[in-house]
Amino acid sequence: MVAQTEPQISIKGVREGLLITLGNGVYADILARLEEELTTKQTFLQGSQVILAVGDRALRLAELRDVQQMLAERGLTLWAVLADLPETRDAARQLELATRLPGSQTDLEGNMLETAVSPSHTPEIEPPSANCLLLAETLRSGRSVYYEGHVVIIGDVNPGAEIIAGGNVVVWGRLRGLVHAGALGDETAVICALDLSPTQLRIANQIAIPPDEPARSPIPEKAFIKQGQIIAEPWQIRK
Amino acid sequence: MSGKVITITSGKGGVGKTTVTANLASALAMMGKKVVAIDADIGLRNLDVIMGLENRIVYDLVDVVEGRCRLRQAMIKDKRLPELYLIPAAQTRDKTAVSPSDMIVVCDQLRQEMDYIVIDSPAGIERGFRNAVAPADQVIIVTNPEVSAVRDADRIVGLIEAEEKGPAKLLINRLKPGLVARGEMLSVEDVLDILMIDLIGVIPEDESILIAGNQGMPVVLSSANGTSAGQAFRNVAQRLEGQDVPFLDLTPKSGLLNRLSSWLNKQS
Repeated sequence: MVAQTEPQISIKGVREGLLITLGNGVYADILARLEEELTTKQTFLQGSQVILAVGDRALRLAELRDVQQMLAERGLTLWAVLADLPETRDAARQLELATRLPGSQTDLEGNMLETAVSPSHTPEIEPPSANCLLLAETLRSGRSVYYEGHVVIIGDVNPGAEIIAGGNVVVWGRLRGLVHAGALGDETAVICALDLSPTQLRIANQIAIPPDEPARSPIPEKAFIKQGQIIAEPWQIRK
Repeated sequence: MSGKVITITSGKGGVGKTTVTANLASALAMMGKKVVAIDADIGLRNLDVIMGLENRIVYDLVDVVEGRCRLRQAMIKDKRLPELYLIPAAQTRDKTAVSPSDMIVVCDQLRQEMDYIVIDSPAGIERGFRNAVAPADQVIIVTNPEVSAVRDADRIVGLIEAEEKGPAKLLINRLKPGLVARGEMLSVEDVLDILMIDLIGVIPEDESILIAGNQGMPVVLSSANGTSAGQAFRNVAQRLEGQDVPFLDLTPKSGLLNRLSSWLNKQS
């Protein structure tokens, strides 16, 4: 459990990448806390595009560069800084970082941001079931979706695309790419698709490669861990 | 009158972007359009060779962008078609010599006097690709019926969507109908099943393309006018003009050669 006096940070998967919100507290403490947090979750988070929300904190160019460096060392790319103060935004622009996000979902006035900063929660105690990311589009090769909660795709997941989710993954379409469900260690996570023919499936710490099978007519299937192994079964409605 | 900018790209190398560019530009010019082909593969130029214009190069795209010559001076007139021009790439520089906004400026100038500006994109998804796509009104993605080429094409479709360049069109190059019939090559349907974008043409594998390329003469112009690849390219050009041209029947029933020759007889 995290005591109230601990410096607050929140790490959250959003559509545009990974939103890291720095709460109130001494800046150096917050950074140390962030560094620790990122180190423990490194395998899950690495490769993400980071959006750093600094609130009304005044940060100079050098300080932003240090954060950028620290993130880069952990395989994360800083691409946007959301700041209330114009001087912080100027510093970010000098580093060629974005200072607002496209679309309304997470812009400066956005709700997503507000819920993320609510002071009393940290990522560890937040149950993944609280969040769900819904994308109504086809994920093509090269697309990566990282999200802490559940992910629902209305569309196909093509080979070369990947979804890494803390919770369950449902694909209302053909799943032919890579999906990692329960990526934070949840062995009860499931992966469902109308046509489950992935390149690879991962649930928690298990990895499965689908068997080479002759072409078949697709049926909806559900993959889950049973006796320590990932298995796929026809997706049936229980009566 | 404002010309249309068409960018030919693929992601993967070696699928035939340059051949497609040369043939499409030539086919459009044969229809009486004013066409300029631009080689955006700076540092690895090829389009001039395929079009047989290598020895006429004086100025190139980088010279235009850096102000060493006027645009008109870098436009090489084709040997055979009066309304076809080429702006070659520089061989001694790299992709960073040109920026996406440079390409937009050059193309906006060309639009005023040309009907079509056809850009040959380099392979990859980096600067050279972004240069080629920045000014595009229409993107044509070239792929081969191979799993790796389709994978890269899928990535490109995603990137084009992200750039809001409108729906890209697909051109499947080097299809071998015999292999498809035996189930040893991806079919047109297999490719479309993954990519799910509009098809603008299917070019069959044809030796005459290689021969014509080595001779510096796009196959649509070569004297053996009956080649199926040449016809397929002319059809793509007509589709770009908005005509509804049926796709060539490439299914071998009583042997591919018979099939094609009977089809050719029907045409003439």
